[in-house]
Amino acid sequence: MQAREGEMADHMHTVPEEALKELPPAHKALGKLGRALLARFPVWPIVDFLRNKKVPEHRHAAWYMMGGLALFFFAIQVFTGILLMVYYRPAEPWQSVQRIVMEVPYGNLMRSIHHWSANLMILTLFLHMFSAYFMKAYRAPREGTWLVGLALLGLCMAFGFSGYLLPWDDLSFFATNVGLTEMEKAPGLGPWLASLLRGGPAVTTDTIGRFYVLHVVVLPLAVLGLIGMHLLFVQIQGMSEPDSFAALPACQKKHKKFFFDYFASEIPVWLAAFALLVALSAIWPRALEAEADPFGAAPLGIKPEWYFLAQYQALKLFPGKLEYAGMALMGIVPLLCALVPFFDRAVPSDRRGTWIERAGVALLVGFVVLTVWGWIS
Amino acid sequence: MNYPIWDVGGLGAGLVVAIIAIIHVLISHVAVGGGAFLVVAEIWSRRQPDGQRVRDWLHTFATFFLVYTTVLGATTGVGIWFSVQLASAEAISLLIHQFVFAWAIEWVFFLSELTVLYLYYYGFKRNTPRMQTFLAGAYFVIAWGSLVVINGILTFMLTPGAWTIENKDIAAGFFNPGYFPALLIRTVTMFLLAGLAGFLVASRIRDEEFKGRIIQFCVKWVIPGAILVPGLGYWYFTTLPASTVTILAGGTVGVVGGTLSALTRMAILAGVAGTSLVLGTLVFAAYPKTVNTIAAISMLLVAQLGIMGAEFFREMGRKPYVIHGVLYSNGLWVKDAKDPARLNGPYLEKAKWHGGVASGTLAHGEQVFRLQCASCHTRDGYRSVVYRTRNWTAGFGSRWLGTMHDMGVMPPFQGDALDKAALVAYVLSLRGETVDPRDLLPDRQATAQGDDLDPDGSGQALPGLEVAGAEVGR
Repeated sequence: MQAREGEMADHMHTVPEEALKELPPAHKALGKLGRALLARFPVWPIVDFLRNKKVPEHRHAAWYMMGGLALFFFAIQVFTGILLMVYYRPAEPWQSVQRIVMEVPYGNLMRSIHHWSANLMILTLFLHMFSAYFMKAYRAPREGTWLVGLALLGLCMAFGFSGYLLPWDDLSFFATNVGLTEMEKAPGLGPWLASLLRGGPAVTTDTIGRFYVLHVVVLPLAVLGLIGMHLLFVQIQGMSEPDSFAALPACQKKHKKFFFDYFASEIPVWLAAFALLVALSAIWPRALEAEADPFGAAPLGIKPEWYFLAQYQALKLFPGKLEYAGMALMGIVPLLCALVPFFDRAVPSDRRGTWIERAGVALLVGFVVLTVWGWIS
Repeated sequence: MNYPIWDVGGLGAGLVVAIIAIIHVLISHVAVGGGAFLVVAEIWSRRQPDGQRVRDWLHTFATFFLVYTTVLGATTGVGIWFSVQLASAEAISLLIHQFVFAWAIEWVFFLSELTVLYLYYYGFKRNTPRMQTFLAGAYFVIAWGSLVVINGILTFMLTPGAWTIENKDIAAGFFNPGYFPALLIRTVTMFLLAGLAGFLVASRIRDEEFKGRIIQFCVKWVIPGAILVPGLGYWYFTTLPASTVTILAGGTVGVVGGTLSALTRMAILAGVAGTSLVLGTLVFAAYPKTVNTIAAISMLLVAQLGIMGAEFFREMGRKPYVIHGVLYSNGLWVKDAKDPARLNGPYLEKAKWHGGVASGTLAHGEQVFRLQCASCHTRDGYRSVVYRTRNWTAGFGSRWLGTMHDMGVMPPFQGDALDKAALVAYVLSLRGETVDPRDLLPDRQATAQGDDLDPDGSGQALPGLEVAGAEVGR
């Protein structure tokens, strides 16, 4: 017994005293208990790693926050999604959502937060992707981080698509129908994939089962795995630096400690993001329309969610047989994005890099214009 | 009903006013609270060992303050005047004529406020610190005085109290039931916002020790307000008219409504905004060096969202009036609504601006839409009429218009059967249905009973067509 106490005492000495002093007050307040916990669960290397992690300070540094914000909204999605799952029944989709909205205390609020958080998560992911693109954070050795990030964006859009059908109201039914019809037209895997998702030739309650499993099991597992990879890559390779910062002499480069300085400066941003989320949910709660009637007329002016509007509008520009060309374009754009790190390698940027920047501006402007056009048309 | 309506495409005149007003409220409250901040900071600087350094920072704050409040404040202030008189000319006419001396005082205060602020700013390096403290104090007293005046007019719109169109009791209207709680809320909020503006200016300080002291000074301006405002909000709530409380206690949007009342939504938003401000400010207090521009702007954004919620729910609670119990949102005076002959007579004959359209045409319906609906609704944008009437059939609309006022959030319809028929035909035409307004007149619709959403012919809306307290951006 005495020997064991001695071992534990040795462990306690493994926590560097001077390092403990640098911990934020909340950790210091743990006092003996905190030290005892650290001795029993030697997580000190992780804390030490976070303490030594540095974030470059430059005029574009604010864009680094987008990844953290997307993760913040994802955490809210998981929390509210679990609460909604308690009452949601795939066998009675509309009725169970009606119960959530009408009977479950704060169910309507949770549903609205889930809806708005999904939209804000995808918005921040787009901002994260474009900022990484223009800061050229995809270049070696970060090709993997870029590819995993693109996959995450795609999966999160799939999250939105699969979740949209679950309430089984008029809007969700017809919007999903439109999406799957477009998917079916795609050559190659399109018809097979659309049929697989629908569970037959038409969108029925069987489709709900598939979308539900996709939404609450398959996609969350895939996204959690990819988030883990993405974060691991970022920790191993460090934060990327834009050319203007990388070109500075070492003595002029400024860095901020990730933990706790940078982390603390992100807290107000998360608070503002949360307040924005609650404001949107409180002022514009998500409506539940009439139960889907597969034999009824589609609601007027039905459109997909905003993050599919650009693609939807682009396809309209290719009528008739040209539609295949439009679909090919839809497939080529993400493929080109994935290939960018293997095309633009030079640091600092050469002519290829300049072309990549121009292509990025064209893509961004095109995306915004098509989205707004789709919205107002 | 006597003035042309400002028809603003997909946004609607009301939303344009709201956007400008929400921004202006933040700026104008910083403008008042910042005056107190300048006074206290002037005095505080004299007690600091490096007083001159503090005053140098205060000069930076004053530069930001001057540009932010005079340029943006004046721009949005004029924007409000421009937009509200176009959106609801009769309401503004009443407010101007009823409170003419209050407006005169307000404008004198405003001009004096600007004059003293410029004297303070341009005398910063010439005047003695005592003179600067005096000027800052004078600025604050005048600026707060303008708040005291405008608060009476703004609160009158929702809680006119003992004021009536007959007695026109100015004192009763000005010192109405909502006056004092609103004044206290605004006063506490302006101190809070001054502290948040201080964070923003302090975020540029490079010396960490000095930055820490300035941040701690600003923290003391924020915390009390963030804690007090939700509680004071409850006091204000107790002064609201019963019909407003009913609307705020109503359900939410969509076909099935919901249990999330506007009141709950308002309380949650106030609580989250207040808590976020306290937490964010505590982080700033504990780690002043983390205060950067983004973090400081984030805190201002939280305050802006809190203001947006307060303004939004106050407007919701005022439905169906522009001035509670006096003037409906469609420009109909409550006293006129009590006269059946006036309420149910041909509408365009009473309207001075109707473009000379022929009766019983779609153009007639559009004029009715512009004059009676467009102050709150758009065709297919914000508060879309197309969306709200998506389940209408030709026969249902006219009957619904006759009873919509019973729901609590809609004003009475003004006009006769042909006005209703023309409006319904116009609304249906917006979604591509062609109907002759004259075919919708009651005598031709007698056989259509039971063919639509209103089998009993009462015109009572089905759930979800318009729900008490409902708000949806479509």
